[in-house]
Amino acid sequence: MLLNLTIFLCLVFLGYVFGRHAEKKHFESILERENQYKALLAFSARFPPADMAISESKLVGGTVVISIDYFKRLAAGLRNIFGGPVTSYESLIERARREAILRMKEEAIAMGAEMIINVKLETSSITKGAGDQVGAVEVYAYGTALKH
Amino acid sequence: MIISNIEVIPGRQVATHLGMVQGNTVRAKHAGKDIMAGFKNIFGGELKSYTELLTEAREEAVARMIRQAESIGANAVLNVRFSTSSISAGAAELFAYGTAVVLEE
Amino acid sequence: MRYENRQIPEGINVSTEHPLKEFSALLLSLVVLVGAVVVGLSVLAAYAAPLVPFHVEQKIVEQTGSDWLQADPLSVEQQAVKQYLKTLGSALEANMELPEAMTLTVHYSDSELVNAFATLGGHIVIHRGLLREMPHENALAMVMAHEIAHIKYRHPIVASGRGLTVGLALAAVGGFTDSSATGLLINILGSGSMSSFSRGQESEADAEALKALLAHYGHVNGAADLFKALHDRTEPSKLLEFFGTHPADRKRIAAIEQFSLNISQGSTQPFPESVLKAVH
Repeated sequence: MLLNLTIFLCLVFLGYVFGRHAEKKHFESILERENQYKALLAFSARFPPADMAISESKLVGGTVVISIDYFKRLAAGLRNIFGGPVTSYESLIERARREAILRMKEEAIAMGAEMIINVKLETSSITKGAGDQVGAVEVYAYGTALKH
Repeated sequence: MIISNIEVIPGRQVATHLGMVQGNTVRAKHAGKDIMAGFKNIFGGELKSYTELLTEAREEAVARMIRQAESIGANAVLNVRFSTSSISAGAAELFAYGTAVVLEE
Repeated sequence: MRYENRQIPEGINVSTEHPLKEFSALLLSLVVLVGAVVVGLSVLAAYAAPLVPFHVEQKIVEQTGSDWLQADPLSVEQQAVKQYLKTLGSALEANMELPEAMTLTVHYSDSELVNAFATLGGHIVIHRGLLREMPHENALAMVMAHEIAHIKYRHPIVASGRGLTVGLALAAVGGFTDSSATGLLINILGSGSMSSFSRGQESEADAEALKALLAHYGHVNGAADLFKALHDRTEPSKLLEFFGTHPADRKRIAAIEQFSLNISQGSTQPFPESVLKAVH
């Protein structure tokens, strides 16, 4: 009983400390790289600019799997009882989407593209957080990179 | 703010493409409604509380996408798409994204 | 047509509120919810469970066949101890006005556990480990009368009924959250009140036991001696006191001393030689 409680509190505490630290670092890194790749434009429009002379077009994609920490899992579980916005999952998905877009951009930059069009995002949950598994989401961002 | 899931707004010209805007939300219903939905599963039929949950979530996602579009000075979002995934049972995750544009007057 | 990507401000898709703020609000709500469920169902169990006839209770025990019902055969020496406990039990029972239908069965377990308990079907189990801690017969009589009082007031069936309904209710809420972490938290919150008899029931049993002791011996001297001995031996822990259901030893000792203030005094009875030899 007491042992259970101790293990539980430790997991929650570790989840909170490390999870929050990792999230903060990740958002900092996302912001920094978004700034760095600013010159590469990304749109969800389907057609390339009419006046653009395109020498190369190629499918580019970026994927990432991000897992939730124990504290957020607990907070989400509590939110599930009372209803309302599950903020702990919202930040998880936001991180995953922006990271996937950044990785897609990295691939486009590697081929020297100036623009990505028809960007689409796919989200799937690898583990639904059932049983003792920790919930994780996979985001795949893909689009067509255009090069002058 | 004009929201559309086609490329063009008939009769209007796109002046500037501003890039992607996104809105996402994860929402849950309280456990009582989950339990009632569990019972409803035996008899079948519409799960009203879940319909409501997804509607609310979709509206919230669109509202957030519009807030992003407004904050960068757009007056329309074109080519809007919705995507959904279930992160955890009983919670709906809705995602709306599109291209923010400035339309000529 | 111009193409550009503008910087989108932060905080639209993600809440900027500190996660601990939301978490503590949710946790507080859960504590209130679990508390309400436990209190509500406990009150219900206290009213509904005693309506179960006593013979049904006995049937349940027979069919579930707990291991202490078929305990290891006792040696001749230990048989004598069991006989002694039975005699003491009936003597106390005679003073406690048990309902007609109720039967009392005293079991003696040759184990080192420092424990005694009353359970469904009028069964009382006393372990050798507890007997060894007993300074004299009066202290033992206090414990036995306390357990008999539990049975008289149908506490085992109330506790089982409450444990079952609270367990089911919490499992229903926890199960639908699809999160083992939340389920665990709910269990921890709920278990404080589910495990055995409530503090109110313990105090009720203590009061009844003192009356029985007074009727049997003419005084209640020595009734608190076991609690004093155990209290001196163990470090009192605040956390254990919260989770444990027995009222803190100090409070029990104080209640017993309060009771003995205005009644006649007497000396305590030692154990018979044969019992002492068998127990040690």
